[in-house]
Amino acid sequence: MKRLLVYLKGYKKECILAPLFKMLEASFELFVPLVVADLIDNGIARMDKGIIVRSFVLLVILGFIGLVASLTAQFFAAKAAVNFATDLRHSLFSHLMKLGFPEIDRLGTSTMITRMTSDVNQLQNGVNMVLRLFLRSPFVVFGAMIMAFTIDVKSALIFLAVIVTLSFVVFGLMIVDIRLASKVQQDLERVLSATRENLNGVRVIRAFCKEKEEYNRFSEDNGILTAALNHASNMTAMLNPLTYVMINGAIIALIYTGALHVSKGIISQGQVVALYNYMSQILVELIKLANLIVLIIKSVASGNRVSAVFDINPSMKDAQIDIADKETQGESENGKYSVEYRNVSLTYPTAGDASLENISFKVEKGRTVGIIGGTGCGKTSLVHLLCRFYEVSNGEVLINGTDVREYTTDSLRKKVGIVMQKAVLFKGTLRDNLRWADKNATDEEMNEALMNAQAYDMMQEKGGLDAVIEQGGRNFSGGQKQRLSIARTLIGKPEILILDDSSSALDYLTDLNLRKAISRLEYDPTVFIVSGRCASIMSADMIIVLDDGKVAGIGRHDELLETCDVYKEIYASQYKGVSV
Amino acid sequence: MKTIKRIMRYLKNNIWLAFLSMLLALVSAVSALFIPVIIGNAIDTIGLLDDPDFIVTGSVFPIQSIIISLGFAAALVFTSALCQQMMSIINNKVTYRVVGNIREEMFAKLQKMPLSYLDTHPTGEIVSKMINDAEQLADGLLLGFSNFFTGVVTILGTIVLMLLLNWKVALLVICLTPLSFLVAKFISKHTYDMFKIQNETKAEQTGYIDEMIGNEKVVKSFGREEEAIKEFDEINKRLRECSLKAVFYSSLTNPSTRFVNACVYAAVALSGGLLAINGALSVGMLTTMLCYANQYTKPFNEITGVITELQNALSCGARIFEFLDEKTETDSKVLDNSVENTERDMEEHVVISNVSFSYTPEKPLIENFDLDVKPGQSVAIVGPTGCGKTTFINLLMRFYEINEGKIEIGGEDIRDMKRHDLRRRFGMVLQDTWIKNGTVLENILIGKADATREEAVNAAKAVHAHGFIKRLSNGYDTVLSDNGGDLSAGQKQLICIARVMLMQPDMLILDEATSNIDTRTEILISRAFDELMKDRTSFVVAHRLSTIVNADVILVMKDGHIIEKGKHEELLKKGGFYRDLYMSQYSAV
Repeated sequence: MKRLLVYLKGYKKECILAPLFKMLEASFELFVPLVVADLIDNGIARMDKGIIVRSFVLLVILGFIGLVASLTAQFFAAKAAVNFATDLRHSLFSHLMKLGFPEIDRLGTSTMITRMTSDVNQLQNGVNMVLRLFLRSPFVVFGAMIMAFTIDVKSALIFLAVIVTLSFVVFGLMIVDIRLASKVQQDLERVLSATRENLNGVRVIRAFCKEKEEYNRFSEDNGILTAALNHASNMTAMLNPLTYVMINGAIIALIYTGALHVSKGIISQGQVVALYNYMSQILVELIKLANLIVLIIKSVASGNRVSAVFDINPSMKDAQIDIADKETQGESENGKYSVEYRNVSLTYPTAGDASLENISFKVEKGRTVGIIGGTGCGKTSLVHLLCRFYEVSNGEVLINGTDVREYTTDSLRKKVGIVMQKAVLFKGTLRDNLRWADKNATDEEMNEALMNAQAYDMMQEKGGLDAVIEQGGRNFSGGQKQRLSIARTLIGKPEILILDDSSSALDYLTDLNLRKAISRLEYDPTVFIVSGRCASIMSADMIIVLDDGKVAGIGRHDELLETCDVYKEIYASQYKGVSV
Repeated sequence: MKTIKRIMRYLKNNIWLAFLSMLLALVSAVSALFIPVIIGNAIDTIGLLDDPDFIVTGSVFPIQSIIISLGFAAALVFTSALCQQMMSIINNKVTYRVVGNIREEMFAKLQKMPLSYLDTHPTGEIVSKMINDAEQLADGLLLGFSNFFTGVVTILGTIVLMLLLNWKVALLVICLTPLSFLVAKFISKHTYDMFKIQNETKAEQTGYIDEMIGNEKVVKSFGREEEAIKEFDEINKRLRECSLKAVFYSSLTNPSTRFVNACVYAAVALSGGLLAINGALSVGMLTTMLCYANQYTKPFNEITGVITELQNALSCGARIFEFLDEKTETDSKVLDNSVENTERDMEEHVVISNVSFSYTPEKPLIENFDLDVKPGQSVAIVGPTGCGKTTFINLLMRFYEINEGKIEIGGEDIRDMKRHDLRRRFGMVLQDTWIKNGTVLENILIGKADATREEAVNAAKAVHAHGFIKRLSNGYDTVLSDNGGDLSAGQKQLICIARVMLMQPDMLILDEATSNIDTRTEILISRAFDELMKDRTSFVVAHRLSTIVNADVILVMKDGHIIEKGKHEELLKKGGFYRDLYMSQYSAV
């Protein structure tokens, strides 16, 4: 939480001035009962019209000064809070963008998004309200008490007692409320996920005729939620009557002791009225204070969550020197091999077992490598290491004879183009999307990439390069998105091209044409094709067969058919007629 | 108005509670109103004590009268608080009961919604109706119950009491207070636009965050971080500008109305003071007036708050009712006399004649579709994406209604069957796996609720899921959440297949059922499927042609039509589209 206060540093002036002006406003409010007392004791009692008019003018002036002070305070508070949130959001976004794949996996997308949005909003609101109320409310409460002391010590003791008990009651109830609210939240989430689950599984539920069971389950959860809401609301509802009884009880006590003191001539009638007015002021402020504290608790929780994100640092260090520059100057000595894996193992931070073990192979420039294996065998992990999305646990991954860790991220991204398994497009035009890999790509280049990706004809109907892509590319089907994301990567003309199961939604014919086009690319990249389909990789110069994170075989199609049992099985499963 | 009536209907069952609540509100508000008057009287009595001449004559009597009136005030305070608390308890009970019922009704409705509705409305939207809108409705109703009536009583009571105490000062208060509403209204009118801009910018930013953070891996694979930050900052800067305005200008309301109220207060003090000098008003009554003047605006503010909240609640209510009024799937007429047709021809002879269907009238999809499937036959459907394969399944399961033609099973039109009777005859496995929150066992038992654990385990063994399930932390009792969470797509699919294995249905539908399973595991499963499909009519949609070569009939679909039909060898020989598709997976570059 503390580290977030840094973002207020630039607005020190505002952070001091806002509460200060609020205090000023409060102190003028505290004068009001005194003026009224004066009006009663001196104006009415002595029948002095002058004093009454003067009191009136004073009251208006006090109100006006209060208004000006308060407006000034609101301005500074708003300025500090909004700027704080803006700066925080910027830093948080930049921080999130710096995180590596392991950290993204750990945090999860939805967590990152809530931190960026609702948590930061909560913090902005918290800062704003704290600046506005944190000094004001206690100031009015204690100010009223001190004023009471100056009028009559014995009556002031009633104030002290009331403030103490009220604080206990109000804050006690708040604590109970917070606890109950979190229970309600849990119950609500259960109902929410039950609803969502039901919607997602609607076909299955109907196919198995499970509507009744689902309804009963929901009914139960809903009943629990309703009961929890009811209970929590009843507790919250107690606040009003309780404080009402206490304050009015105190007023009755005040009037009584006031009556006794007046009869002894210790205080005047006007002063009793002043005490009465002070008592009324306390209640409002105390409730504001209690609400403020709830807000602070919530904001601190948000703050801690945001801080926790800041505490996560990218585990990978970027290289300092740009190896790519060196390469262009002189051919590096290992230039023959475009990619080499030496004894590579990978264990994900959260996993117990290794996902990849002792992988070694070499690939010459311009060759095509197929990677095949069952689900969860490590195909995607293998190619992600080439992009250095994850750090190897052991061994080395070399590109052009240089360890990937020695490349700067930028140069590595330019060298290696990957089409990820999940095809994603971004809001904007097709042109915007295609320019991701090369900002200066011309229309001809883009059209060529579309043609190679077998997406040109399909896009012509939709408006070509000017076609509008909605958020998340939801106006395109899975297969269309796959082809477009392939085109997007092709624009960068990478030295190494990775297709990670990127044609799974394409029919075999389109897939074949795509592979043909890629093999004819004039910049002749080294290509990695990850696939579960034999057909997609059969013609590769080299096929790596993975089984449970280990290499089960490396070679050409016909070699593997003779030597590699796993490959034989995969092939047989796809080509020997088996029903289903 | 219609919405209000509708909500009232829900309240009908609780009508007595609602009346009681109003009565309590009345008692509570009225007793609270009298307290300032009593206190004012007490202060007047104190004024007598303050009078030096009076002390001598009789100091005992006033103190006693003060004690009596204070005792009376205490009783009122207590009554008011008690009534308020009881009223809250009743209101909470009524509100949450009503909203709980509405939510349940919505869920029940959801079970009967046609898929055409569910497929065209995003999950988030429906969930939001059931959760957020219902919540908003509850909040609005509650606030309306608790504050609206009390507020009105308090305002009317205050006006009457003030008029009785001193009509001149009362008129002053009544005439001046609207000023503060004018000020508040003026400010909110001018901040509305700023809020609108702020909310739009916020939504834009959230959308951007969703996109970039949601797909951060892709962003990083292109090294686009810097651009993303730059674009983000551009939106962020705009948000700062409009937020500052919205936050600041909206925060003007409170100080401004407070100032207006302070002026009203000062005016009461002035007029009251002058009247007091003339003896037309006592000091105690002046205090009472000042107290009322201070409190007078509060219920107004509350009521305006309630009105916005109520408007909000009503629009949420309208959305909820709109959902509840959607057309549901209608079951056949047979249902009405609910004659179970036990004599039904159990032969699973499926005849599809002249069926046409489209999701939207402008885009015809399936046209004049004919198919005759003999009992025990297996039908495979292949074709490029979007050719209508899955639609065919939707029609067969009656997830969607056909526009024209007829589908008959065992000689009976499926529209004349109960949906449940129809669906119980099919076992279905889809490409999109669905795992419900619960244990592995519970998930398998979806297939047949009354099956024993042993039967479920056997089903899992049959589909080769037993091995991995055993290795889960709690075996069959491992709780799966978040749609299967840690399980791989293939493992999830295996559980779904185990369901059908347990169910042992009359007919089978496999819609890309094995697409997420690697081909080696598929071989293992396929043996289980062979067993299952033996003598069963089955429909198989598949991408992988290898999985369908043994089918009795292969339908090749394109653009909603069957363009080829026959056995694998026949189709190959024919050299048409099927051959192209089939050969494409063999041809190398």
